[in-house]
Order: sequence, then C-alpha cells, then structure tokens
Amino acid sequence: MPEKPIKGDKRYFMTGNEVVAYAAVMANADIMYGYPITPQNEIMHYWTRMAPKYGKEFLQTEDELSAGFTTVGGVLAGRKAFTATAGPGNTLMQEPISMAEAMRLPIVVAVQQRGGPSTATVIYSQQEVTLTTFGGNGEGFRIVYSTATHQELYDYTIKAFNTAWKYRFPTFILGDGYQAKMRESLTMYDPESRGIELVSPEAYVGMPGTPGIDRPPGQYRNTYNVEEELYEVLQQYQKEYDAIAPEVAEFESLGAEDSDLVVVSHGVVSRAAKEAVMELREAGVKVGYFRPITLRPMPEKQLREVANKAKTLLIAESAIGQLARLVKDSIYGCGAGIIPLFKPGAGITAEEISAKIKSVLG
Amino acid sequence: MRLNISSRIVEAYVGEYASGKSEVAVNRALMLSRLGRTVTLVDLDIVEPCYTLRPIKLELIAAGIQVLAWETRDTEGLGEAGNVIRAENRWALKRPGDIILDIGYGVGGSRTLNLLEGAGTDPDLRVVAVINASRPMTASIEDITGYVGELGNVNMLINNTHLGDETTADIVQEGARLVSGASVILDMPVLATTAAEEIAAIIGPKDCAGNQVWAIKRYMPQTFW
Repeated sequence: MPEKPIKGDKRYFMTGNEVVAYAAVMANADIMYGYPITPQNEIMHYWTRMAPKYGKEFLQTEDELSAGFTTVGGVLAGRKAFTATAGPGNTLMQEPISMAEAMRLPIVVAVQQRGGPSTATVIYSQQEVTLTTFGGNGEGFRIVYSTATHQELYDYTIKAFNTAWKYRFPTFILGDGYQAKMRESLTMYDPESRGIELVSPEAYVGMPGTPGIDRPPGQYRNTYNVEEELYEVLQQYQKEYDAIAPEVAEFESLGAEDSDLVVVSHGVVSRAAKEAVMELREAGVKVGYFRPITLRPMPEKQLREVANKAKTLLIAESAIGQLARLVKDSIYGCGAGIIPLFKPGAGITAEEISAKIKSVLG
Repeated sequence: MRLNISSRIVEAYVGEYASGKSEVAVNRALMLSRLGRTVTLVDLDIVEPCYTLRPIKLELIAAGIQVLAWETRDTEGLGEAGNVIRAENRWALKRPGDIILDIGYGVGGSRTLNLLEGAGTDPDLRVVAVINASRPMTASIEDITGYVGELGNVNMLINNTHLGDETTADIVQEGARLVSGASVILDMPVLATTAAEEIAAIIGPKDCAGNQVWAIKRYMPQTFW
C-alpha cells in the first residue's frame, strides 16, 4: 500500500483547491477525470502531482461531457472516481450527471462556482446552485454540500465520498472561486485515525459468475421503453431519497430560535452573515443566523421551524435568488416574509449584511 | 562565480503555489523603497493576470514604487486567463534601479523568466525560491529540496513559513530550521526569514538558524486571494 500524504493531525496553510485534492487522496479516491477550467484547476494540478506517489490515477478528457461520462465509467468499474468543474463546465456535465442519477451511481463532483451565465468571470459566484441541485433533465436526486471554510472543504470532501457510496446518489462539494483560491489554515488528518470509516467501493460491472444463474443480473438503466416502467423506478428513487433526507441534511444556526429577523445564507457568504449576526447580537440586537450546509436535500424541518417563529428571513446570496428559491420551496406555508440581498457574481461583506439588517429593523 | 560589484538589486521570486511570492515581493519592494532606492515591482504572473497584484497596484504606486502590472480596465477583453505578457514587463530588466520580479507559480512560472529581455545575461539577477513550510508540498527538508530541484535555476531560498492569522514565532522558527536544512543540501544561501511585524519583534533580528529576519506587513489578504 502506498503511504498517505497526511499521517497525524497537523495545521497547514493552503488554498481551497489543494484542500479538495488532498481530501480526495485521504478519502481513498482512486481516480480523477477532468478537464481544466478556472477556478478549479489546482484540484487537478495537485491531484496529478500526488497521483504517482500515492498510487492514484488521472485522465484528462477532451471536455466536461467526457469528464463526466468517464467518471460514470470509473464508478461502474468499482473505482472511487471524481471530477471537478465550474461554470460552463458544470453546464456541460449535467448530461453525465443525469445519467449517474438515473443509474444511481455514486460519482463525486467538486464545483467551484464562477460567474455566469456562460463564460462570464473566472472569479466567483453562487450562481451554480440551481444547476448543481436540480440541473439536468430529471428530479435532482443528488446530495449537495455547500462549504464555507477550508476545514469544511476537507471534511466534506471526505464525507462526500462516503455519502455517495453509502446512499448511491451523485454527491457534490459546492465551493466557489473565492474558496478555491483563498488561503487559510486548516487541520488535515487521516480520517481513519478519527474513527471515520471509509466506505469501500463496489464494481457494478464485470462481477464474477453468470448473471441470472450465479447472481442477480446487474441492470443499470438510463433508458426505459414505457412510461409505467420509468414512473415506477422514479417513485422508488423518490421514496428512498425522502427516507435518507433527514439523516443527510445538515445546517448551522445561531440565535435563529429567538429572533424576529434571521439571515439565511450558504457557502462563503455565510461567513459574512455569521460575523454580522454575531457582532449585532453582542451589541444587543436580536437577530439570527441560519445556514443550510446541504442545499439538496435542504434541512427542511429546521428551516420551517425558523420560518414559523421569525417574522422575516433576510436571504443573502451571490446570485439572484437561487438559494431563495430553495428556501421558499422549503418554507411554503410558514409565516415569515422574505427580504433579498442578492449580488449576482459578487462577494457580500459582513458590513453590507449588517447595514441591511439595520435598515430592515429600522 | 562572477564578482558582482553592482549595487543594483534584481530579485525574482519563484516558488510553490500560494507560497507567498507576491507578499514577499511586495514587502521587499517597499523595504528597498523606504531606503530611498528606486524600485520597480513587476507582476509576471501571465497565467492568471487578473489575480495577484491588480487590486493593490494603485496603493503600491502611492507608496513610491513603480509597479508594472495589469489594471482592471486593461484586463477587460483578455478572457479568463490572459496568457499574455505586458509589453512593458518584457523590458523590465532594462529599467534603472532595483527590480523585484513576482513570478507565477511552479516550474511553468519560473520559466516565465525566460520571456524577459536580458534575463539570461543580467549579472545582478538572483532567483529566490519562496518557501512556506506550512504548505503540505514543502513541509519537510526532503520536500523542499525536491521541490526547489524541480524549479530549475534558483540561487537563494527565503523562509516565508506562516499559518496566516495563527502564525507564532515557533512556527516561523520551525520553518527557518527546515529551510536552512534544505539550503545546506542544495548548497545555496538563505536570503532571509520573513515574519509579520509582531512576530518578527518576538524573534529578533536573526532567526534560530542565524538568517536575517525581515519584518513584513500582509498586503495580499486585501487582494482577496
């Protein structure tokens, strides 16, 4: 067995992209398929730098369609396979991701959101929320972790492989260009030394024995002849998704239970939201903070509790209402009203959130 | 070794991604400028020109140094990654005074030097590899020597070990020990150890390995990268 890059717990100073690459190695990922796009490139760079030393593989494909489909192929062959992309690459990748949804394949995808629509900017946005949660034709049978810190990029990349292989739904780490390029410190560790058991992959194809005689045939389909057949499969998928949703859903909240105004944000913007809320609370202003960590499934029960108590949700995001749509869908029928702080493709500071809170509270 | 009697300082900062090349280069340029020297700081990251020095360019000019770097309005239309060298930057070594070159990362970055007119013959040019031993790829003497070996033409090392806001004097000193250890194997001097002003005050003028300590300010967090 090749050695691992991280043995004991240690603090390191890193960029987010590197963190994803190291976490993938430490999650025992076998192979990355990828096509370059800023701002995710260093995930590939660092994976390929480590690959020869730690017995990993890499395939650079001709585009993101191919990167997605080869990731699907890697998983079918029983490899812990992943890819990383952003922006227009994420758009192209929706077709293979739909196929993974249809066949319940545990592909793992790291997305570092950039400005959109189209090529837009290489730098930053939160505009790939809709695409990552519900992109492609289908029902969004996916699991999406939206990270806010480098520590979370490390923790949730490791977790994403386990979640994917445990539940067999495509799983995403949704970062952004700021997290990708930003430098901060984090603790890297060997997950197994912390008692995190890494779920082992299993091959879907090429199993020993004769199908139908020695073992049940493996039928992994993305094509159906008639409506009834598809309907039955999707009903079953939905049932299974609904059943796991409560145990998969994660959130973070602060003072959301006793505040009339609660700031709802996700990802890197929630760092600013948390800072603004903490400062105002210290100054005696009753304001809360709620952050879904999983955007799919949403932490619906907890969010509904908040929206039933609070009068107003201030939704802050670097997009025009992509998080807000998920929130509205979750809280339908609850009493809270919604006030937007939308800055598509641009960062949001704690000062801006604080000023908005003050203007709402009057 | 050619004798260098020139008082001109020409330093090119190369190294691992996010090792602190720009931070060290900016601080070095300001340090020389404060001594009353004429200094030109050159941003040679040709892969991602919209990152790095662009957001603090005007602040640096106001501080008295000449800065050859893109400005936001110039990068419009370049697309997502420029892959282009500013014409003025190509001739940077022909300018009077001290020249501090901030080079793009890795082996590809260090090759960018070849694009500069006169880089092969400039008697004063010193290529300095910036090492942060808190970075996982350069966290041991073995890693550092291996990495600097890959970079090609390097003349000196600089210990820029830190952990952002969590940096302590011990972390910087541990970096000094590792970088100095690597310098013995690589047979090249350590130019300095850098440390944020408050940490540098604790360490004193020399680090545990006897290298001079440069007290620096952190400018790059303002650039968002």
